[in-house]
Amino acid sequence: MPALAPDLPIALTCGEPAGIGPEIALAARMRLGADLPFFWIGDPRHLPQGAAVTEIASPAAARDVAPDRLPVLPHGFDGPASPGQPRPDHAADVIAVIARAVALAMAGEVAAICTAPISKKALKDGAGFAFPGHTEFLADLAGVGRVVMMLACDALRVVPVTIHIPLADVPATLTPDLLEETLRITHAGLQRDFGLTAPRLAVAGLNPHAGEGGTMGGQEIAMIAPLLDRLRAGGMAIAGPLPADTMFHPAARARYDAAVCMYHDQALIPIKTLDFAGGVNLTLGLPFIRTSPDHGTAFDIAGQGIADPSSLIAALRMARDMARSRAQ
Amino acid sequence: MIQNPRMAMAIGDGGGIGPELAARVLADETANPGDLIVFGDARLLERGAAQAGLDLSLPVLGLDALSGTLPDGSFLVDLANADPAEIAVGEASLAGGRGALQNFAAALLTAKAGLADAVFFTPFNKYAMRLAHPSYVDEIGFIKSTINSTRSGREFNVLDEVWNARVTSHIPLREVADALSVDRIFDSLKLTVEVMEGAGYTRPRIGVAALNPHAGDGRNFGTEDDDIIHPAVLRAQAEQFAVEGPIPSDTVFVRALKGEYDAVMTMYHDQGQIAMKLLGFDRGVTLIAGYGFPIVTPAHGTAYDIAGQGKADTGATFNAAALGRKLAAMERARGDRIRSAEGLADQIGALLTAPQAA
Repeated sequence: MPALAPDLPIALTCGEPAGIGPEIALAARMRLGADLPFFWIGDPRHLPQGAAVTEIASPAAARDVAPDRLPVLPHGFDGPASPGQPRPDHAADVIAVIARAVALAMAGEVAAICTAPISKKALKDGAGFAFPGHTEFLADLAGVGRVVMMLACDALRVVPVTIHIPLADVPATLTPDLLEETLRITHAGLQRDFGLTAPRLAVAGLNPHAGEGGTMGGQEIAMIAPLLDRLRAGGMAIAGPLPADTMFHPAARARYDAAVCMYHDQALIPIKTLDFAGGVNLTLGLPFIRTSPDHGTAFDIAGQGIADPSSLIAALRMARDMARSRAQ
Repeated sequence: MIQNPRMAMAIGDGGGIGPELAARVLADETANPGDLIVFGDARLLERGAAQAGLDLSLPVLGLDALSGTLPDGSFLVDLANADPAEIAVGEASLAGGRGALQNFAAALLTAKAGLADAVFFTPFNKYAMRLAHPSYVDEIGFIKSTINSTRSGREFNVLDEVWNARVTSHIPLREVADALSVDRIFDSLKLTVEVMEGAGYTRPRIGVAALNPHAGDGRNFGTEDDDIIHPAVLRAQAEQFAVEGPIPSDTVFVRALKGEYDAVMTMYHDQGQIAMKLLGFDRGVTLIAGYGFPIVTPAHGTAYDIAGQGKADTGATFNAAALGRKLAAMERARGDRIRSAEGLADQIGALLTAPQAA
């Protein structure tokens, strides 16, 4: 695979056409203009009426599009979209757009990909989509065994080790292998894509007060602490296992570059509380850079022109910054 | 015999910021309007005052002050139970843990006797308390046994206008899902409504956090949200409680902060503590309710790392005092407590001479 060049445009997928994806893509272009080159892959009919669009034949052509027009690499769907009502016969094309963006990234034609929200239910109902989400699908397309989901805002980066599973299944799913690979991928990702030569990781405990010496759960002593000791001995800067409730206030956050959490809400509660709109979801461990806004399809407000593009803009900016870090 | 609402204040662990914070409370006109019955060691409080750069002029009395008519104004009951020479600053010690426990027990017994309407304490350290009292698990269990209560109280965290109560607390994460039941969640909601109404809320609005990611995402990531939490919420709504949920736990606090809820009911310890401590590490208050009188303390700990330096932040401590005082006034207004100092000084005296509990 050719090296990713930071001056290439970013490919933005359409996501679920019945959600807010199309309208926030247009809004992001109007806000960012030519400063942050990206193009949209999707059906131009799904963009808001009267959208200023320039169709392009290849990613390279995105550079020549006027700043007040959205460059679109067209992908024809079977008909228009109705805001709030996903169509089963659109599901396969939503998936195909993601695959096309990945192919462009793998071919080195784009600096990064940014994905707009999908509806897992719509894709499952319409096309039998079997992945829990984008992250797993992208790993499959890239032929990578394990990837890491990171959520990032200005104030905090978090990585959930287990993600979309019942809370009751977390202890059994949390194996030393999974934790070690997650830490290694996170560490490498912070070095490669965030320009941190010696990343500092903070690892949360699983149990209240990080188990409090084994009185409130044993995974910290049996599994997490020995693994961290081993990784520290290998030179990684890792703190933990730390009580999760005292690692997210401002003074604590200053001590690490990313917090590695044991389950979904342990990671999501702090970041959404800190920055509900501006968070970015990104995937580490893929052969290409991928970011995404940290919100859903928002069917309830789709098509009304009131959706907030700030998380998408943050995702596009982060993709560009990561591409620059990686190129250095 | 008792004219105005009083608050019993226990000086916390001597190795931490507890004595310094106690001194700062006593020196502040708002935090100390003259209603505090302080339990602790006079020498340790003196050290705290010196750490804070304060000169306290507080009457220092003996246990006999607790019989007959209470003196007006704030005063220290010197238990002479924590010699600063035995308690290194910045470290957990047996003497520090023992003194903190005795102060706390004395304050609890004073409130139980009705001489005080609320209990307020500066931070403890659990490890130090276990050095002195190996069977100590948490405040809830200690309070229950100290005042010989048949009921178990509940811990609430209060941050500005948002309250947090939890269904389960100090248990391994693995046990959380099994510990949930419709009855248990409903009972937690009911108690929360009672306590908040006692604190002046009318029909407090409670957002109930989901257990699983995305509230289970339509049963894709677990069934408890649909099968346990939702029915408990419906039952609470049928009782006319202003309750909503289950709400994904990564958004429920944001909604509460925007003013949609007065309280958030969380299913497990960190689910609530992460957001509350992130938002207000320096302002949050812990309230323990359900024992007939409120017990308040700052939500943070002993901060051994900054102890003795005179730089402890007083925000959470002053907030705790204010909440305790507000609840004490409401408690007094209800006027249904029997108040008698009989035997109290002897009970507290017995605490000080008791052999180290095992």
